[in-house]
Amino acid sequence: MQFMKILFLLLTVACLSVGCNSFEFSPEQTFDRDSPKNLNAAGLSKMQNSRPKDDTIRFVITGDTQRSYNEVTKLVEKINTLENLDFVAVAGDLSEFGVLQEMEWLAREMEKMNAPYVAVIGNHDLVNKGASVFKKMYGDLNYSFIYRGIKFVCHDTNGREYGFSGKAPDINWLNQQVQPEAGVTGIVGISHVPPNSEDFDPALIQPYHSLFDQTPKFLASFHAHTHTYAEFGYPGSTVPYVITATAGLSEFLLVKIINNKLSYERIFF
Amino acid sequence: MNVYFSRISIILLFLVININAKAQKFLIPEDAIIQYAGSIGYLSVGAGYELFGNKRGNLDINYGFVPESKGGALHILTAKFAYRPFVINIGNFAKIYPFNPGIFIRYTLNNNLGFNFDTVQYPKGYYYFSEAARPHLSFSNEFQLIKGKVLERTGLKALSIYSEFNTNDYYLVNYFQNTTALSVTDIFKLGIGIRAKF
Repeated sequence: MQFMKILFLLLTVACLSVGCNSFEFSPEQTFDRDSPKNLNAAGLSKMQNSRPKDDTIRFVITGDTQRSYNEVTKLVEKINTLENLDFVAVAGDLSEFGVLQEMEWLAREMEKMNAPYVAVIGNHDLVNKGASVFKKMYGDLNYSFIYRGIKFVCHDTNGREYGFSGKAPDINWLNQQVQPEAGVTGIVGISHVPPNSEDFDPALIQPYHSLFDQTPKFLASFHAHTHTYAEFGYPGSTVPYVITATAGLSEFLLVKIINNKLSYERIFF
Repeated sequence: MNVYFSRISIILLFLVININAKAQKFLIPEDAIIQYAGSIGYLSVGAGYELFGNKRGNLDINYGFVPESKGGALHILTAKFAYRPFVINIGNFAKIYPFNPGIFIRYTLNNNLGFNFDTVQYPKGYYYFSEAARPHLSFSNEFQLIKGKVLERTGLKALSIYSEFNTNDYYLVNYFQNTTALSVTDIFKLGIGIRAKF
């Protein structure tokens, strides 16, 4: 009986110490009291307020962080050792099940990063109520920003999630984004599913890569999804399509742009 | 998954047919429940049935709602099973059930959450989980008043307050693959409720 009383006391203390943050209405709820909001906007404003030390733009492409919080901890530690890093882009699949809790766990780890970061939607982030969670926590599924003369076009290429209905990628939107613009010397695409994947809308593969390949100053298109590193391209074009390995494989891409010339290296951690 | 559910349905159907004579008594719940949070709604209401001769088991059927302002809108049906293996008597007027393990199945009724993923849209096994049906593990503790003026005035047999921690398959998968980055408190979610026994 004494044991039971102690057990009860311990459980009560546990309940009180965990406190109100543990109240959950449903795993499918799209936000809660403490969930971060508009993280992409926050990342972009941090970037615009930064003071670069040299002419080189340096950014990290990682992706498929789902179910890999242990590795993300190490990823963040490694990224924090990189000097003069401008930003980090997570190219989709922040979550496995598209639920709020998973995106909160990732945001908690990414918060420890010194550099600003932005996130792009992946196919796993679109299951359940994931699209709503992502929109509230990060922002739009298609968005772009100009940083030091380079336009980064972040977009949704998860065609299978829309039943290959021609909605993703949004070719019209992309076409507008890659039009010549004052102050833009180069364009970089960032999305989750690469156009050589079975999960890319088959009817849109040709219009998609033709658009990129024919756009002057289009430097590279970065992807994730297939979980291993790869680079490929299409005949008659020099635009590289580069896939980063998953964070779970302890690898990411460090990209540099110097005088509008893009190069990258695989970093292992 | 489908075989499992069809078997359960057959058993339930069998039960309903066989208890025809006792049906009325069987179907009247012993408990009325109201719960805040606990992953089955912002607020949920339910009916509870006592199970087993010792009345230590409980089967609860709950309906919960999450309003848009709290991250919904979601409509949720839950079937809970729990057992109270331990009891601490406090005089002759109250009982504490300190640790009651349980399981529950939660079904979200929203149209855009499917029980299965579309077989035309996705290759077999592309996503291995269900969006609408979610299995949970739970443990609760309960303080139960069995005698006193409140009960006399209301005519209730007993009145309980309880707190319940739960987790689900999504969180467990993440936890077991990331035991350093995630802690047990990350995956267990809390709810509190009142149970009135008629």
